[in-house]
Amino acid sequence: MISEAFIPAVASLGSVALTLGIIIFYVSKKFHVEEDPTVTIVNGILPGVNCGACGYPSCGLFAEVLVETKDSSMSCPVGGPDLAEKLGDTLGITMAEPKPITAVVLCQGDNDTARETAEYLGIQDCWAATQTYVGPKQCRYSCIGLGSCIAFCDFGAMRLENEIIVIDKNLCTGCGACIPACPTGVLVMQEKKAERYYIACNSHDKGAATKKACDAGCIACQKCVKVCDDDAIVIENFLAKIVQEKCTACGKCIEVCPTKVNCILLEHDLKEVKQKKAS
Amino acid sequence: MKTFKTGGIHPPESKFTENIPIEEMAVPAELAISLNQHLGKPAKPVVKVGSEVKKGQLIGEADGFISANVHASTSGKVKAVKPHPHPGGQYAMTVFITPDGKDEWVEGMNTSPTDWRGFSKEDILAKIKDAGIVGMGGAGFPANVKLSPPPDKKIDTIILNGAECEPFLTADHRLMIESPEEIVEGLTIITSLFEGQAKAYIGIESNKKDAIETLTKHASPKGIEVVSLKTKYPQGAEKQLINAITGRIIEPGELPFDKGCLVHNIATAVAIYDAVCKNKPLIDRIVTVSGLEIGKPKNIRAVTGTSFRDISLFCGAPKDKTNQIISGGPMMGKAIFTLDVPIVKTTSGILFINNAGIDKARERTCIRCGKCVDVCPQGLAPWLLADVAQFREFDEIQLLGLANCTECGSCTYVCPSKRELVHWIKYAKALVNNRQKRKSA
Repeated sequence: MISEAFIPAVASLGSVALTLGIIIFYVSKKFHVEEDPTVTIVNGILPGVNCGACGYPSCGLFAEVLVETKDSSMSCPVGGPDLAEKLGDTLGITMAEPKPITAVVLCQGDNDTARETAEYLGIQDCWAATQTYVGPKQCRYSCIGLGSCIAFCDFGAMRLENEIIVIDKNLCTGCGACIPACPTGVLVMQEKKAERYYIACNSHDKGAATKKACDAGCIACQKCVKVCDDDAIVIENFLAKIVQEKCTACGKCIEVCPTKVNCILLEHDLKEVKQKKAS
Repeated sequence: MKTFKTGGIHPPESKFTENIPIEEMAVPAELAISLNQHLGKPAKPVVKVGSEVKKGQLIGEADGFISANVHASTSGKVKAVKPHPHPGGQYAMTVFITPDGKDEWVEGMNTSPTDWRGFSKEDILAKIKDAGIVGMGGAGFPANVKLSPPPDKKIDTIILNGAECEPFLTADHRLMIESPEEIVEGLTIITSLFEGQAKAYIGIESNKKDAIETLTKHASPKGIEVVSLKTKYPQGAEKQLINAITGRIIEPGELPFDKGCLVHNIATAVAIYDAVCKNKPLIDRIVTVSGLEIGKPKNIRAVTGTSFRDISLFCGAPKDKTNQIISGGPMMGKAIFTLDVPIVKTTSGILFINNAGIDKARERTCIRCGKCVDVCPQGLAPWLLADVAQFREFDEIQLLGLANCTECGSCTYVCPSKRELVHWIKYAKALVNNRQKRKSA
């Protein structure tokens, strides 16, 4: 009979299943780990991109540490204030207001302003271009303009425009993944604020050399230092620098800057500022 | 005829200048002496702006174990010390000197030939170190470091490299014909450092018949063997030359002294002779100025710091169609963007080329023909290295032997898809270095 042939098969497989079942039951009881359900909830709230901007390698680990320590100073720059509020509600604590940060390009040497040295025929990648001096642009501190960093941005916030990197401030979450991707170091992280000034130049060459290489370079003329009422501008190694703690965003430095594009507002488009100054 | 076993190519030789004698070039109106004329750490400047220097005076002091001294190549006044483009493709600290035209040697300098046989081994090594001698074949490894291998490594073979396998270049060829005595004497000095136990060879490619004849005449009585090598690129690469002459293979991660070998360029031997017997620091070298777009191709002897501009004017100026200038040979040289670049101790040639007709978007897909694997002298798979570099798999690329690539350019030369194989490998090396730097920081 057919059913007779089934008996040994069902019996043997059944006994194997039963044995394994008992082992699994025993192991799950013996090695049971008490897991805080809030970790799962917190993990669900977090963006889940594992960008590493918080200092932890993944969102999961951030959630674990946050639930364990209930440290209100921990923050997720990607999520911003909304996420902080949600996290605070879940954990019953008041999270510190996160300081949203964003990447900025300390260079304005685009196709119109920066002068080129030679036609670069090699691989179209910034790191490959650094093998023969610093790519096609004369200024060796500049944004090379071949866009190696774009591939590193998980949020699609970077694009190449007129041979220079442009960062979409609405999309940039401040994770910092692009920073090590840049061979010349023109990308830096800065705090997002409604009004904010910075020197969009990275050239440590002397004024004359900078002027020769680029129309939009800081020539360290000291005009902005003299006009600043708050002593917020210092010149280090032929490059002006705005001390963010002292800057009151009065805008006087923009008016006197002879290269016209040295100081810009983060919350306005670069082009708007250029037009404003031109008028 | 001896040759290396794996890979290799035979590009057109184009040695236009092989029968043109070396011409002395006068000191130009301004010198830009780079402080990074060697492998390793750049030298530390020891002169200030405005100070007077004499010919042969130390202006850059070796900074660390692998570094070399840099000397003023004429007398004059220091105009500036600032970063300046370097023929190697970077920027380096450079001492600008305005010559006073007197060309006076530094005080107490005795350049009349003396016999070196009375000197001790330490004296000779100290003289080589003080003179700032580096490997003049291209890499610029400090010679005194190369000549003092660890005590447990026994050197039994010393090879002088006169292969000059790069197309166009004839600087070493002319030197072999015009100063055979100095070469042989320099090699004898090197051999004496190893208690005369080492066998000395001079390896020359078979396309330089006259050089082989001249050197055989001078070297044979001294027990030096002149080896005629097959004309094949890269015969003059250190590992390939050792393989061709001794049959030994330098395994990945090994240095020549692990296999008892020591290789020096023939120009380095002359520099060692000058330093030991004439107390002369390394302040000039022979440069081949060639290519189809230069007025008069020449072999010249120029002081270090002479700009490419002055040299091009001395050689009949570049023609109008020049659109690429290469420092070094066409296979391994670097394209430069300005003629203000000065020559350094390792600049063996300057080429003026017209590359019109090269398609800008010329890199195409790999067709898996395997030509690059056939020609790679290091036995690597360049197509795979380039692919992996393109996808930034830097752990994997190190397993594939990234560090063994000598960047000889044979793979790029044969690739029918015109892929920039060496450039991708260099790109991977740059990013791997950057990552290691970040990790250790």
